[in-house]
Amino acid sequence: MIPSIEYIRPENLYDLLTLLNKHNGDAKILAGGTDIITGLQQGLSRFKKIKILIDINNIPELKGIRKEKENIVIGAANTFSDIINNSLIKKYFPLLTKAASGIGSAQIRNRATMTGNFVNNAPCADSVPALLVYDASIKLESLEQHKEILLKDFLRRPYQTRLQTDEVVTEIKLPILSENYLGDFYKLGRRRSLSISRITLAVLMDIQDSIIKDIRFASGAVTPIGKRFEELESYACGKKACDEFFKELSLQMGKQILEQTGLRWSSAYKLPVVQQMFYQFLQRVHCLS
Amino acid sequence: MSQYTILSFLFHSIRVELLFIINYIIMNNFSTIGKPIIRQDGYAKVTGKAKFADDINYPNQLFGVMLRLPIAHAKIIKIDYSEIENHPSIKTIITSKDIPGEKRIGIIKKDQPIFCDEKIVTPGDVVGMLVGESERELLNLREKVKYEYETLPVLSDATKALQPDAPLIHPELETNLIIHHPLRKGDIEQGFSQSDFILEQTYTTQTIEHAYIEPETVIAVPLEDKKGVKVIGSIQNPHSARNVVSSVLGLPLNSVRIRQAELGGSFGGKDDTMNILSARTALAALKTGQPVKIRYSREDSILESYKRHPYRMKYKVGYNEDGKIKAMKIDILADGGAYASMSPFVTWRTVVQATGPYEIENVWTDVRAVYTNNPYTGAMRGFGSPQPIFAQESIMDEIAIKLNKTPDEIRRINGLRIGSITSTGQKLVKHDVNLIKVLDAATEKSGFTEKWKTYKQNSETANNYQNKNFIAKQEDSLFLEKGDFIPSEKLLKKGIGLALSFRGCSLGAEGIDAAAAYLSVQADGSAYLISGLAENGQGLRTTFSIIAAEVLGISVENIYYLEHDTGIIADSGPTVASRSTLMGGGAVKVAAEIIKVRLEDTLRTEWNLKKDEKVVFKGGEIFVATKPKRSIQFKKLCNLTYNKGISLSTIGWYPGPKVEWDEEIGQGSAYFTYVYGCQVAEVTVNIGTGEVYVDRVVAVHDPGRVINLMGAQGQVYGGVTQGAGYGLWEEITTEEGSIRELNFDQYLIPTSKDIGEIIPQFVEGDEQFGPWGAKALGEPTLELTAAAIANAVRNAVGIRHFSLPLNLEEIVLKRKLSPLDLKRGSAL
Repeated sequence: MIPSIEYIRPENLYDLLTLLNKHNGDAKILAGGTDIITGLQQGLSRFKKIKILIDINNIPELKGIRKEKENIVIGAANTFSDIINNSLIKKYFPLLTKAASGIGSAQIRNRATMTGNFVNNAPCADSVPALLVYDASIKLESLEQHKEILLKDFLRRPYQTRLQTDEVVTEIKLPILSENYLGDFYKLGRRRSLSISRITLAVLMDIQDSIIKDIRFASGAVTPIGKRFEELESYACGKKACDEFFKELSLQMGKQILEQTGLRWSSAYKLPVVQQMFYQFLQRVHCLS
Repeated sequence: MSQYTILSFLFHSIRVELLFIINYIIMNNFSTIGKPIIRQDGYAKVTGKAKFADDINYPNQLFGVMLRLPIAHAKIIKIDYSEIENHPSIKTIITSKDIPGEKRIGIIKKDQPIFCDEKIVTPGDVVGMLVGESERELLNLREKVKYEYETLPVLSDATKALQPDAPLIHPELETNLIIHHPLRKGDIEQGFSQSDFILEQTYTTQTIEHAYIEPETVIAVPLEDKKGVKVIGSIQNPHSARNVVSSVLGLPLNSVRIRQAELGGSFGGKDDTMNILSARTALAALKTGQPVKIRYSREDSILESYKRHPYRMKYKVGYNEDGKIKAMKIDILADGGAYASMSPFVTWRTVVQATGPYEIENVWTDVRAVYTNNPYTGAMRGFGSPQPIFAQESIMDEIAIKLNKTPDEIRRINGLRIGSITSTGQKLVKHDVNLIKVLDAATEKSGFTEKWKTYKQNSETANNYQNKNFIAKQEDSLFLEKGDFIPSEKLLKKGIGLALSFRGCSLGAEGIDAAAAYLSVQADGSAYLISGLAENGQGLRTTFSIIAAEVLGISVENIYYLEHDTGIIADSGPTVASRSTLMGGGAVKVAAEIIKVRLEDTLRTEWNLKKDEKVVFKGGEIFVATKPKRSIQFKKLCNLTYNKGISLSTIGWYPGPKVEWDEEIGQGSAYFTYVYGCQVAEVTVNIGTGEVYVDRVVAVHDPGRVINLMGAQGQVYGGVTQGAGYGLWEEITTEEGSIRELNFDQYLIPTSKDIGEIIPQFVEGDEQFGPWGAKALGEPTLELTAAAIANAVRNAVGIRHFSLPLNLEEIVLKRKLSPLDLKRGSAL
């Protein structure tokens, strides 16, 4: 049962920051509520301390998706549906459109925000691998200061980020990348809709004359939090994009996942399958070129 | 050819021709039967206007909140209410001490307490109920109740239930055996010795949840002048609920009135649980003198409600080179969980149908249900058939493959035909034995045989990690070798599979089988209708209205189907076993025909008709068949009859024919008639991930006669989807008796995106029972799908899976994974 919680809905960013500052620690930001409300219902310990919920849906500064120089900027209160329907995202960041389209159901996508997805930082957060391969950064604001950090530095541990109690994520910034990159997003769930991911993969490759010029890849739901494989990415650069190498890279990825995650009850299934599907996935992306 | 033969041949063909023509005329003479009719309750339901139990509230209404212990098996020492008993939010606390009548209930064994007093035997058990105005407050106060108890060893493995050292769930019964149904036919040992080959396999199925969209809700209202109590709720069987409430309250049956609210799904699941909840609210309502409501959260619902039995099924089959099955020995163990509930009946249907729709000379079957501390299991759509169908249809395919025959071939060799003797020794006569007909229709429609052969060849190259054994505890086993990577074009495998069944209609030798319907035609030609069977979402109100409308030659809109209330209609047994169209529909037809005769008599007198002049009721008019120009409107004839002082109200009664059963040897005419069905599933299997997608299901069923085409198709769409859920996703797992999947984030049912095309097709027959031969359809549509999918997966990947559901892990690892496999780290 949901305990009694105070609910406030500020109308602008300044009021929000003031409220966060005032209720430091007692307040939690409510965007779509698809994690918080169900979490409160389940009595999850990480939501136990909440006394006040501050709804950010009426704050105009947090809305909108726009192009700013060489970046696309997504306001933090944009829902997955907003993102799916946005032509700029579709054009420049198709993996993000695909990741967003596979989340929950239409009703959940209409409420849940992408920012909420990575602030919650569940191991299976679908937006994280896609954002990571695009080198997303985010803007954090409080009454005292605002700063920009890379998403990968913001995410700490499962369900933990570097967000301070008086701070809010105001926007996501995605640098537009060269047209040479090809990529895709892959999600494995137990069913085709309303499915918590078992494995997610995002990959971007720049292949020139059968040589991997650059590659970025990340996974979700198989590592404690969504993660890039930077060591393997550097190892892969300059290698020949061929069946043999894709198999090897998939095996290496499997080893890294085991190192980072350790053995889980689900490893007997997930580890072999992630290797297989990463290989399948690399093949498929390679075929696009 | 002799003259005689020619004559007889001619005569025969003329007769056949005539019969065909007569049939054709009859079939096409229906005004409403067999046409697609929109459900009467459809509009209200899709627009959110329908009133479900939780939409109904009374002034001064109180709420009831359950008290439970956090474990599965314990002796209760003390329950300490001291922190809350004087709290202003607590109106009263109800426990077993408040029960004036029966403290324990059960259809066969009275083993289930309304409130537990001495011990609890499963985590869903309730020891008391807080009653007060604010449900929210009660939920808070619930946390302050203290329990003192002595834990008892938990029995969670049904296969250990009959071992001498097993903890006894109900020690007073001195055994954990709920029921044993033996079946003995022919000479089993001789059968095996005469067989060319013998195949032995063990199959298992999982526990599943009904997953009705509306959780349990019920309200009890005390009647004035101590006349008893009225209960309104999402109740599947109002008369069963009445029996339970009256026995618990110690009141005569007529002091308990049960009204059914709109039901948000049941699938067999709103029987025992709702009867118990009705009794709890009724107790509280009479104690406080105020209306009391219980409404369950999804977690409460999954925790306390009964489930479908998981089965462990050992099959040993003796068969010959030519495909003929000589002998079948079956040993089935069902986990009944904490209470007997419907286990004796569920497993009885299993013993009758466990060999499948095949004629086998020598059969030896044992079906046992046992107690454990797991959630109790009872009635669920299918009722003891989906489990053996999975086993028997899988093993039929295995035999076909071993003999280099196709699945349809092996079934044609062994399938039941008119005059066949079933495993219970019943000779199939006096009804259409449409087994081969549905098989032919389904295989033809789906192009089964050719596809099956092609996919089988392709499956031989399926890699599917066949030589691997991935074990979490052995790190090295988890890495692929280069040869394990599947070439992209071979990742997806197609397969096709079929499953075939026969199903006994209605209750059979389970119990008394009769139903009532009340029809009251008004002076203006409109009518009230109600039957003793209840609308559970299956579309019964519309079906029954169609039947009455057809007899009276009026439009369905002229009939108002009354709200179900035990005060106004006779007990007609439970709405179960897909029996409502057959039994309740039969009763409606009887009632309508009685009224029709009265109206016709009026007209005959009025128009001075001769005896041989046939009167026709059609299109709201009544006329003489040979002189259709002169007619009278139905409403005018009603008015005329009414003004003559003739009753236009009646009760139709439809008793089922007698059946016989010898429980010592499991022989007898188990059911008075049967229906037949065949489903063909086409799947795509991703052999890298284990995903199975159901591309298409052709579902051919013989319901006897389709009354409402739209309703019949709806049954197929729903049944197939539910059956696919059973085959691929759904599973309730427990740890020390406690359920892990308490909501739909964990308990996965199929979404509309998970199933491809479903193609219903009906084979109609010439049945003597039921309205115009209409028999059953609801459960047959569900029972076949999982088995058909399992056979399709086998066809795709070349490997047999012996355990449902065929989830990702089962397909890849050929086993299930559980958090207990490796207790380390968090669940990923």
